[in-house]
Amino acid sequence: MLWYKSWLETRWRFLIGLVVLICSALATVFTYPRVLELLPLVPAHVSGELGRKIMESAALAREYRGYVWSQWFSQNLPQTWILFAVLIGTGGSFTSSGAALFTLSLPASRNRMFGTRVIAGLIELFAMVFIPSLFISLFSPGIGQSYGIANALVHSACLFIGGSVFFSLATLLSTEFSDIWRPMLISLAAAAVLSFLERALQFGVFHVIHGESYFRRGSLPWIGLLGTAAVSIAFLYGAAMNIARRDF
Amino acid sequence: MLFRTNPSLGVPIYLQLMEQVKHAIETGALRPGEQLPGIRPLAEELVMNPNTVAKAYRELEHEGVIELRHGAGAFVSAQARPKKTAEAVRAAQPVIAATVKQLRSRGLTDEEIRRLFEAELASLSRAGGKRD
Amino acid sequence: MTDAIIETADLHKSYNGVEALRGLNLSVPTGSICGFLGRNGAGKTTTIKVLLGMSRPSSGQARVFGLRADEQEASVEIRRRVGFVSEEKDLYDYMTVEEMIRFTAAFFPKWRAELEQRYLRKFELPSQQKVKALSRGTRTKLALLLALCRGAELLILDEPTSGLDPAVAEEVLQALVTHAGNDEMTIFFSSHQIAEVEQIADHVAIVDRGQIVVTGPLDELRERYRRIQLVFDGDAPDTHFLAPGVVRVQRKGRVLTLLSSAGAEGIVEEARTLNPASVDVMPVTLKEIFLETVAVED
Repeated sequence: MLWYKSWLETRWRFLIGLVVLICSALATVFTYPRVLELLPLVPAHVSGELGRKIMESAALAREYRGYVWSQWFSQNLPQTWILFAVLIGTGGSFTSSGAALFTLSLPASRNRMFGTRVIAGLIELFAMVFIPSLFISLFSPGIGQSYGIANALVHSACLFIGGSVFFSLATLLSTEFSDIWRPMLISLAAAAVLSFLERALQFGVFHVIHGESYFRRGSLPWIGLLGTAAVSIAFLYGAAMNIARRDF
Repeated sequence: MLFRTNPSLGVPIYLQLMEQVKHAIETGALRPGEQLPGIRPLAEELVMNPNTVAKAYRELEHEGVIELRHGAGAFVSAQARPKKTAEAVRAAQPVIAATVKQLRSRGLTDEEIRRLFEAELASLSRAGGKRD
Repeated sequence: MTDAIIETADLHKSYNGVEALRGLNLSVPTGSICGFLGRNGAGKTTTIKVLLGMSRPSSGQARVFGLRADEQEASVEIRRRVGFVSEEKDLYDYMTVEEMIRFTAAFFPKWRAELEQRYLRKFELPSQQKVKALSRGTRTKLALLLALCRGAELLILDEPTSGLDPAVAEEVLQALVTHAGNDEMTIFFSSHQIAEVEQIADHVAIVDRGQIVVTGPLDELRERYRRIQLVFDGDAPDTHFLAPGVVRVQRKGRVLTLLSSAGAEGIVEEARTLNPASVDVMPVTLKEIFLETVAVED
């Protein structure tokens, strides 16, 4: 029954996020033909940082796989998904005061109750990554292109494992603070800061999330995946400790 | 509803219930051999503690006023004892009436008279007549 | 220890430097309806939270069914056999009445379906309504149903009738007495309402500033506590009474009033040596016992 309760508590966030991402995926697919039309219009040389970026995007977009990677897996999907990861990580009845007493009077250990909430959230977040990405594979033939399910799966896994640090961070912070705003804002701020800083670096959370090494060279970022998974687990362990120790 | 207890008096509720059962027997509302309400139904109806009802019934049985038949319930005793009490009570009524009339004529209010009776009964129950 | 379903020994609990419980020694007999009285902030809710494993004691012991309330596994076992209704009667706002019942029932294999039906009808609970749309009275009745149907041996309620109109309050009390007693449940409830404690409790514990100041069977307390009033011809003397059992002494003009918790005869004997014009011994209500024992200065 704890699963059902977690579902009831997060279902709207989940469903809205899923619908938004599916629409975004479909939009990504169906704007490709237009992008192809506009490509020849991009000037051959544009100066400056912005120019460099425009040229890089254009180069990638010539090939469908590159387009999907740069638009979907590196931009649209992570940006929206991380927002929902943070939203689902905060909230839950341990933070809303009164109902917590009812939950705590039930014959279930705090670890079990916390564990159910976390796992339910992770399952929802994986669905939110993979299902929209699957839509890209399914609908690409509609514009005369193809995108392998294997690719979708690998990139989904990278984004899920790498991005889970933000879910776990939000969860940990929700056990430290009594309101829902601080955990959300701090987690989102962390994501924004990291994504900005990482432009200069060769490694980092967002490199794992984007699965860049897989895209460019076909090799999975094993170290990054293990590292982010470890960080996630550490955050969740901290959250579990907080809940176990707390006086309600 | 045959009985009513007032928890806010200084008198234990089980004693009040006992008095009311005895009074019901004296006035004939409950006849010898007749069954009393069950402990739980009575507790539920009066919204009072079933342990208290049980205690009142036990004390009444000890005094011989009622009989507790295992599995069947509580029944008013068929003995003459209640009648004796009824006679004593009837004889006491004019005594009380006269005393109250006298005190009222001296200018005491009903509230003062009640307090005097309660105090007297409380000090009497303290000094003597306590069984346990 | 054997007959006490709840027992605490020298229980201490501090929050943020404030000592909520300072050596609480509580003992609740199995099969009783025990009223837990105290002023706001005296430690009632804190005690209940410790018993249910929601808070951990700073020191001392608390046991329910003989199990340690501060041990994780024991606490889960305790909660398998306890029904709880919190002061705010908060449930999950987003669930309907039916969902709340199904959710709760899933945790208790001994769930009593016949009681569930009976109380759904009796309390007139709207199955498809969301909890957040229920009035306070209806929410209380739902919380009570969820607690009563678990097949629990002990019911713990924190201010069960607070905020309820008299009719609903009476329904709540009636449901409690229906299931109380040795072969059913022990009931432990905290309250401000002395009248309702007097109505249904057979055992009382009064807590003040984190300690139990009065406890025992209610009938026994009523028989032991006495108010002794001495009137003098001149000003009442300022004596210190040697006889034990004097809880409070008040001097006002020619009248000396004592509250005694036991041994009224001994006190009266000593009082007579002061040559009062009159000596009155009167019974005391629970309300008076409460007001006098929690208002005593240190």
